[in-house]
Amino acid sequence: MKLYLYGIVDSSDQISESIYGLEGAGVYNIPYCDIGAVVSETGKPIRGVTEGAVLEHEAVIEKLMANFTVLPVRFQTIIDSRDNLLSMMQSYHKDFKDNLARLHNKLEFGIKVIWPAEKIKANIIKGFKKSKQKNPEPNSSQSKKFIAEKFEEYKIEKEFQAKADKFIKVMDIFFSKFASEKKLTKLKTENLLLDAVYLVEKSQEGNFREAFEHIKGGPPGLKYLFSGPWPAYNFVILSKQSGLLTDLQQTDILDKVTQCQALVGANSI
Amino acid sequence: MNSVVVKSKDVTLLEILDRVLDKGVIISGDVVISVADVDLIYLGLKVLLSSVETMEKLRGSPFVSPMQEAK
Repeated sequence: MKLYLYGIVDSSDQISESIYGLEGAGVYNIPYCDIGAVVSETGKPIRGVTEGAVLEHEAVIEKLMANFTVLPVRFQTIIDSRDNLLSMMQSYHKDFKDNLARLHNKLEFGIKVIWPAEKIKANIIKGFKKSKQKNPEPNSSQSKKFIAEKFEEYKIEKEFQAKADKFIKVMDIFFSKFASEKKLTKLKTENLLLDAVYLVEKSQEGNFREAFEHIKGGPPGLKYLFSGPWPAYNFVILSKQSGLLTDLQQTDILDKVTQCQALVGANSI
Repeated sequence: MNSVVVKSKDVTLLEILDRVLDKGVIISGDVVISVADVDLIYLGLKVLLSSVETMEKLRGSPFVSPMQEAK
């Protein structure tokens, strides 16, 4: 039986509530030492990337989030057997443990800020034109004019970037106060001033939301998109890029699993 | 997933897709059966994800996942 993997959780206990995943299949936890891999069984050919399937996958992760620290696993991760799943768990065990410890009691929030890029550039150009009128340039050759034009374009872009930096810096001061980690992307497109994700302690959620409300009341013309809380999708850091283990390694793992079971007192694997 | 209701909530479908298709734990190697070409689909979607116009359209009517709706 193939296993559809939703996430890695910081518990080897069975899930107490009934959760149904893709194709309505029951979701359960396969323990490995003191952590677990949350899966459902899948026999039928899996449908492609559909909106429904993506939402079903996400719904399982959100339900897990209520009771566990979760490392969400990418959509459509299917492992062909329980043994291979366990070998994968063994292979990534340290990475999973480190991430679960780092992300414990933390939530991810997304913030996107849209600004009127055209208007801002127009204002910059207007400013340059005004200063030019005050200090007109003497008549010059074609080549000098060309260079001057290129230089002006460069100055406009530089000023545009500087304005973006300034806005982002101010916003980030507010959000960073309540975040433990962050990832900021400036000007993904000209209009998308900021695309940011922040990792926030659960106890700081209220303060973080308040900071967002405060920022929203800032300069007019900017639009804000807020999303979350999410499990820490953007903050999982895997050092290991691992694949399937050899038969010998698998036997070794099964021995280790038995030892781990004895240590943590798990019932069965 | 017809039960998904369009509501005024903070989460948009694009935000979900961005995370579910490209973030989190990505396991590589023979152990994983790839049934759909998620990478390829995500590449196509990336254009949409950074499109402010699309986000603006969704802004008024974001989707919520079944779980968030139930909260």
